[in-house]
Amino acid sequence: MSRLRPLLLILVLMAAWELAARSGLWSPLVLPSLERIGRELVLFLSRPEGWMQAWVSLYRAFGGFAAAALVGALLGMLMGRSALVGRMLDPLFSGTYAVPKLALFPVFIFIFGLGSLSKVALIFLECLYPMVIITSQGARAVDPVLIWSAQNMGASRAATLRRVLLPATMPYVFAALRVALPVALIVVIITEMISSVDGLGYVVIYSLASLRTDRMLAIVVVIAALGLALDRALVAARDRLVYWEKLDTYFA
Amino acid sequence: MVRALLLSFATVFSLTALAQEPTLIRLGRGFAAEEQLWLMSARPDLTPNQGKKYRLNQVLFQANPERFQAFLAGELDGGTAPGLAVIAARAQGADMKIVASICLEAAGKQWFTTQYLVKDDGPVKSAKDLKGGVIGVVGIRTATDLWARAGLLNAGLVPDRDTKVFPMGFPAMGEAVRSGKIQAGTFVEPFYSAEMAKGGLRKLFTAVDAVGYDHELLDIFFSEKFLKANPDAVRAFLADYVAATRYYLANTEQAKRDLAKAGFVRTPVDIYVRNSDWKRDANGRVDVESLKKLSAFMLDKLQWLDKPVNVEQMVDQGYLPR
Repeated sequence: MSRLRPLLLILVLMAAWELAARSGLWSPLVLPSLERIGRELVLFLSRPEGWMQAWVSLYRAFGGFAAAALVGALLGMLMGRSALVGRMLDPLFSGTYAVPKLALFPVFIFIFGLGSLSKVALIFLECLYPMVIITSQGARAVDPVLIWSAQNMGASRAATLRRVLLPATMPYVFAALRVALPVALIVVIITEMISSVDGLGYVVIYSLASLRTDRMLAIVVVIAALGLALDRALVAARDRLVYWEKLDTYFA
Repeated sequence: MVRALLLSFATVFSLTALAQEPTLIRLGRGFAAEEQLWLMSARPDLTPNQGKKYRLNQVLFQANPERFQAFLAGELDGGTAPGLAVIAARAQGADMKIVASICLEAAGKQWFTTQYLVKDDGPVKSAKDLKGGVIGVVGIRTATDLWARAGLLNAGLVPDRDTKVFPMGFPAMGEAVRSGKIQAGTFVEPFYSAEMAKGGLRKLFTAVDAVGYDHELLDIFFSEKFLKANPDAVRAFLADYVAATRYYLANTEQAKRDLAKAGFVRTPVDIYVRNSDWKRDANGRVDVESLKKLSAFMLDKLQWLDKPVNVEQMVDQGYLPR
């Protein structure tokens, strides 16, 4: 029963939506019924082109996300453990975190072209910030007693890094990954909405331009489902790798 | 007692005043080619009925989908839109009717028509050479998208398969063509004049070349519900609109300077007044036949419509001055 409780709120929201859609107060072109959205969802999922569009968005999102995860975790570790690197890079990252990187998208198009690369590059940049900042916090927060203990037992620098620093920072790295992953999805959809001929974002803007709000909302459902599935996969991976510190989630 | 009486009197008085307020027309507008409509707000002295038989509130929108969403949500009574966008909306069952024309894509040296430009020294000599390339349009399912696809179809190319139709903003189009990111781009004023002045670009085809006939570009629409509820206000509004159009056509430079002064245009005024202009009908009459042809093209060649649209029913010119 307790596992079904989160679904209850979703069901209530869906019922409220359906009531509003059937009230006649709003045009069905603006507020389509769940039945129409569901029909479009089934139509989208039953066509190979639909899956292809989802795949295009996912590989773009993953491309930027994976690169940011790798570079961000490395930079974050360096910033967290080296005062020199921290002093050099912290003002850069802190000072430009709030800048909406999306504004750079036209520039990215000119540098990286109209295709996937400009989108992947922007996703990389957007995801890099949470990766670097959260990982560096984690690397800085490692209990010094653990490091001293390892050193007292004769552990080399490499062994201390591998056996103490990395495991102690991993919960933060996964926290950063969980922040960066939805950012990757959001940015890929927005960039595809702005300038693309494929991907889920393109389908969203195409549906909007065709006044097909039902189709657009079906894609929103697909994006939400993808986001949820990816987050669950990330949490599952975290629980396997960081087994000593299970994450307390409502889905567990 | 006295206070209660005064309060009742004040309430009745304000309700009466409210009832006598002329009808408010909430109109969603765009940012290009709608000069005579903007003039109604920039120069209210040209519109004798404004404030007496109707009040006008023009709301700026950057794109059609947002304008239509606001209209369908009941936040607008009408607006401006490309004829083809109204056709597409009608096909989805939207309650909207075109009541007047704003401007047309027309052939002739005296008019501006949307241009598709390529690199002057590039390999694209005709639309056929766009095979394997990219053509830039300003948005998916916009008029610029339709013309690009029409131009490709004329050249025997299949849009999306043979040539990508890529959305990008007007300001980026010139550099995108010059740098080879796209092989052809869509240009309207003021970007067209600015890019031609820089050099290095030449015409491939125009909007009129693409579809093969002069046709409606932008129109004014209202919901049928609003038209039925406020016929006198709409008639008064359109009478003023025609007056503003005539003033604009007779005094284009002054009108443009007034628009620039009122903040409707951001282009430097000296460039703006020199730019060529779209064709505008002095009486605001709609070229219904061209809309019929566009509708058939959208249905048969582009598969943009799920079903045919009755264009005759979509246009009602009965509110325009006779």
